[in-house]
Amino acid sequence: MKSARCSGFGAALVMGGLLIAAAIAVVVIAAPSDSSPAGPALPPPPRPAFTPENVPLGERPVAYWAPVVAATTVRDRPAGSGTLAEVETRTPEGTANLVLISRQARRAAGRLWVRVRAAGSPDDVYGWVPRPSLGGYTPVRTRLLVDRVRLTVTLFRDGRRVFRTGAGIGAPQTPTPSGRFYVRNKLHRYDSPFYGPVAFGTSARSAAASDWPAGGFVGIHGTNHPELIPGRVSAGCIRLENRAILRLAHLMDVGTPVRVR
Amino acid sequence: MSDLTLESVDRSGAIAETFDELTGGTRTDFFRKALVGGSALLAVLATPALAQPRNTPKDVAILRFDLNLEYLQAAMYSEAERLGQLRERTLDWSRVVGANERGHVKAIRGLLGRDAVRSPSFNFRGVTEDDRTFTETAVAFEDLTAALLKTQAVQVDSRRVLAALASLHSVEARHAAWIRHIAGIVPAAEAFDEPTSKAKVARLVKSTNFVTSLPRTRGRRKPGFTG
Repeated sequence: MKSARCSGFGAALVMGGLLIAAAIAVVVIAAPSDSSPAGPALPPPPRPAFTPENVPLGERPVAYWAPVVAATTVRDRPAGSGTLAEVETRTPEGTANLVLISRQARRAAGRLWVRVRAAGSPDDVYGWVPRPSLGGYTPVRTRLLVDRVRLTVTLFRDGRRVFRTGAGIGAPQTPTPSGRFYVRNKLHRYDSPFYGPVAFGTSARSAAASDWPAGGFVGIHGTNHPELIPGRVSAGCIRLENRAILRLAHLMDVGTPVRVR
Repeated sequence: MSDLTLESVDRSGAIAETFDELTGGTRTDFFRKALVGGSALLAVLATPALAQPRNTPKDVAILRFDLNLEYLQAAMYSEAERLGQLRERTLDWSRVVGANERGHVKAIRGLLGRDAVRSPSFNFRGVTEDDRTFTETAVAFEDLTAALLKTQAVQVDSRRVLAALASLHSVEARHAAWIRHIAGIVPAAEAFDEPTSKAKVARLVKSTNFVTSLPRTRGRRKPGFTG
């Protein structure tokens, strides 16, 4: 009896399945041909005009510089009262005044403050300025080493030496100051054979020329006396042969950190 | 300092388009015509850049605008990554998205070839050093970029450019969703997105004052150094 009931249930299942299959067949056959599962033939997709790939960030810059867009005071801490130096928007040469960025920022007294390195007297100062007093940041990949013992100047880019030449540095009574500085501007096409075809202005100041009309800043420039190079011959500046300063002008950007040792 | 806005950058693109209309072709066409009859023409035609299908003036204008926007985003995220002042998860976003945006710049520049505009200079005014303002700005840029690409997709002439913009669009939409999540904003609050116009994007970019002129660091004044 039980077997006969199971058999009847199975037959009913089969019959139901057949009915569903028949209904699907009727719908498919009755449907328009363009809605069949395959559909009409589509055109191939166009090849994209470009296929971007990720681009890595590259070498970490040696430094960042920013122009001073509003005269301000370098302070000992964010919104602090201690004054380290005043920075103007222009250098004595009339170009934009620059500071180096120390990659530190703090919010204080409702403003964002950034730590900078600025030209001081006699050495560079490290302190805080309001971010709105600075313009955009520019990365720098080069650094310059001035060796007062070997009388050489060496330029590095991304840590690799790319240029070296002999240099004339300060005479014993007017020495080139040692320390860490940076290049603030690049001058050219002026009328002065004494400085050669190109002159870089730095943030370094000669202690022996504090009463100099233009502030006693140390430059890196060419010369009309190449026979004196290398040597201890200048009033604090770093003199290169004209061919060398032209090459350096091609390789070195403003904002380049300079170390004199 | 006189600010150079994205609109003024794009104005040069408009001039180029007008120039194209006057000469009846692209600027590349003009230079080619100027060389007709010379052996230099053969050399120019042989370059790979011209061997590719040429972009229509409308596509060039669209791609130039996108390139400026990609320059802006790539520069902002790269600077944020290098300065390292943001919170770790925002920096992670910046690292990944910065690599994408630099890739977009490279790809669009490659497609535009000689028609590519140069990158403007930027002053991000502390946004790359402050987590909250960076996140808010990035949400605005990514949302708008995704919306702009939607508009441009129906404007471009070339199906190949359309396919390329579609590949950018989905990535920009992911950037937008991710930075919205970081900012605590629902990534997909609405069922549909509205497209946006180039003018609206230009207005937003202009309002940031991020696009600036380069400071004058070179001079011709006689040096006053110690000598």
